[in-house]
Amino acid sequence: MSQRYYEDTNVDDELEPLERTPTTDMAIDFFGRDNPTNPAFSDIEAGKRLGVGGALVPGLLKLSWLTQYVSDWAGTEGHVRNLRAAYRRPDIADRPLVLTGRVVDKRVEDGKNVVELEVVTIAEGQPSTRANVQVELPSRG
Amino acid sequence: MSEPEQSLITDAHRAMVGVKSEPVKVTISEADAHRMRDVLGDKDPRYADGAGFAPAYIIAGMGGGPRRGMPQVLPGGLLTQQEWKFVRPFKVGEELTAVSQVFDIRERMGGRYGYSVLITQGTEYFDAGGNHVASAMITITQFDPKSQRKGDE
Repeated sequence: MSQRYYEDTNVDDELEPLERTPTTDMAIDFFGRDNPTNPAFSDIEAGKRLGVGGALVPGLLKLSWLTQYVSDWAGTEGHVRNLRAAYRRPDIADRPLVLTGRVVDKRVEDGKNVVELEVVTIAEGQPSTRANVQVELPSRG
Repeated sequence: MSEPEQSLITDAHRAMVGVKSEPVKVTISEADAHRMRDVLGDKDPRYADGAGFAPAYIIAGMGGGPRRGMPQVLPGGLLTQQEWKFVRPFKVGEELTAVSQVFDIRERMGGRYGYSVLITQGTEYFDAGGNHVASAMITITQFDPKSQRKGDE
């Protein structure tokens, strides 16, 4: 994990795409096997009854991946301070997701270096989750 | 279910908007942080065992979260929007107080799910000193799966 600095970050910089494949086990383990979750996260038939065509990937799992993705991009001195996500299409377990993103704004706000990114999960070529993320980055020197 | 002749949002549902829940205590657990990091494959040294901090996404598994007390108008529901705000990192072992409230209930005609009801609910988390630490807001689209448009499965 390398450190990213405000001065080296530019609007339209792109994040390296990252592939993740969510599974039903991940969906259950993420929240803990003893904790109740939506049956559609692990049961294909329950997902179909909900109309999503298979076991549903939890939105919270996708947003957590996006949080980690941006946090890793920012480096250990960066700080994710806000995420706002729209879930555009349900995702189905065992189908790969590609995480991508780009910088859409940078500014100094109340003395903090704020960088805004747009990040998405892409399934079968179509965005399924789109999020705007604000990150604080350190300055060089 | 076809579109109802009148709104399914009742006065009782509307009366829930803006009412704050009873506070709930939530502890940031090392075990939860460890398990969630393992699932995501997160190697960030800031959140390693013993480092004292939990990754921001631990908010996804916190008890007392936004769905607590959410009105159920229709049987199916999908998370359609979400927002997380973090004022500072979560400390492992700290106890937070969660307070939730419904911000908005509205309905939508037509669209992928037919008649649907959108409920926005949020939770604020405070530390022992009463300082705001984080917040989570969600919008759930409730619908009747039987009325979903064909071809969308």
